Amino acid sequence: MEKPSWTPIVLSGAIPREATDLLAILVIGIVALQASLAAIGPTIPESRLWLSLLVVPPTCALASVSTTTRRTKEELALFAYGGSGWQILLRYFIRGAIIALLAFSPVLLQEFLTTTPMLELATTVIILLFAGGLFYSLPSLRRIRSSSFVEHYKS
Amino acid sequence: MPSVIETRSVVVEYPSVKGVLRLYEQGVSLKVDQGDFLAVLGGSGWGKSTLVNVVLGLEKPIHGSVSFRDHDVTRESFVKRCALVKTAAVFQRPTALPQMTVSQNLHLALSLAGVPRKDRDERIKEALAFFGLDKIERSYPDGLSAGQRRRIDLARALAVKPELLVIDEPTGDLDGSATNLLIPLLRGLNRNQGTTIFMTTALPRQASQAKHQVHLRPPLYLTPENRMIGD
Repeated sequence: MEKPSWTPIVLSGAIPREATDLLAILVIGIVALQASLAAIGPTIPESRLWLSLLVVPPTCALASVSTTTRRTKEELALFAYGGSGWQILLRYFIRGAIIALLAFSPVLLQEFLTTTPMLELATTVIILLFAGGLFYSLPSLRRIRSSSFVEHYKS
Repeated sequence: MPSVIETRSVVVEYPSVKGVLRLYEQGVSLKVDQGDFLAVLGGSGWGKSTLVNVVLGLEKPIHGSVSFRDHDVTRESFVKRCALVKTAAVFQRPTALPQMTVSQNLHLALSLAGVPRKDRDERIKEALAFFGLDKIERSYPDGLSAGQRRRIDLARALAVKPELLVIDEPTGDLDGSATNLLIPLLRGLNRNQGTTIFMTTALPRQASQAKHQVHLRPPLYLTPENRMIGD
């Protein structure tokens, strides 16, 4: 006798294999690594800062990718209103840069108040803004350039 | 006076499971003059929306060319085409920004089109009232019906007062009364304001309202043996 089973539903989708899953693993992994290194013993403050910066690209990419449906609607509308590809990319680049800057402001403030040289701090901020902006806008660039993008205008 | 739009022998191909789908086997050659109202008539899947995308620069043909006012724009973007002819497009699928209200969507479109700030409120009010959207001007598009979202697109396009209106199946998601209003509105725009209109439709009755008509032919599939078969 045929017996329905619930296991295929669980097993067919239990293994993380989507891009967003991998990005989440990467973010958690970097944070976990940082926590482990801090627990092992004294760390050089600069290395801790650079390790923290590694979280920016996957987190920004995750934020951008996880709202693909909504974002696609946004991109289609902006094109229909007469916007261009680079304007849309700039919009997301700035958004990603702001996200990274806001999230990192406690660390940057701490570095500013300590003896960190201004040049080093400025370099960190530039890298932070660039990484945030680039990785937030890359998924959009990929979508806009795909041949299937304009198919969304059709019913 | 040069044509607003001219296409010469445009052919588009897509890969498909049945082989290569070739739209417009003979090539689409058409001319839309200033103040013209052209309807492109064809069945479902015959490439009406693709032709709209080709005209707007969102898809590129594999053969043929597209000109705007005698400038070859075949490889140019929609933005560059808009610089030659002030164009507004209404697609088959509603395209309003989800995080903005109906009124804010229109504001954005008008500011992108360079409409002076002092004129925007008046134009938006007029467009919203015309399409019966004034009561939902503070609503967000995602909470509205397909017909209402369609009307937002139409209001947005017409508020810009374009020289060229490209409109894909204008009455797609509209109810009877809105449909009855729209075609006379397009004719009025064309006649009174001289707006050039490029419209696609699957309805011969609708197409007959335009000044000129172009009939598309069914697409063909190019099989691996390079043999044409009908749909």
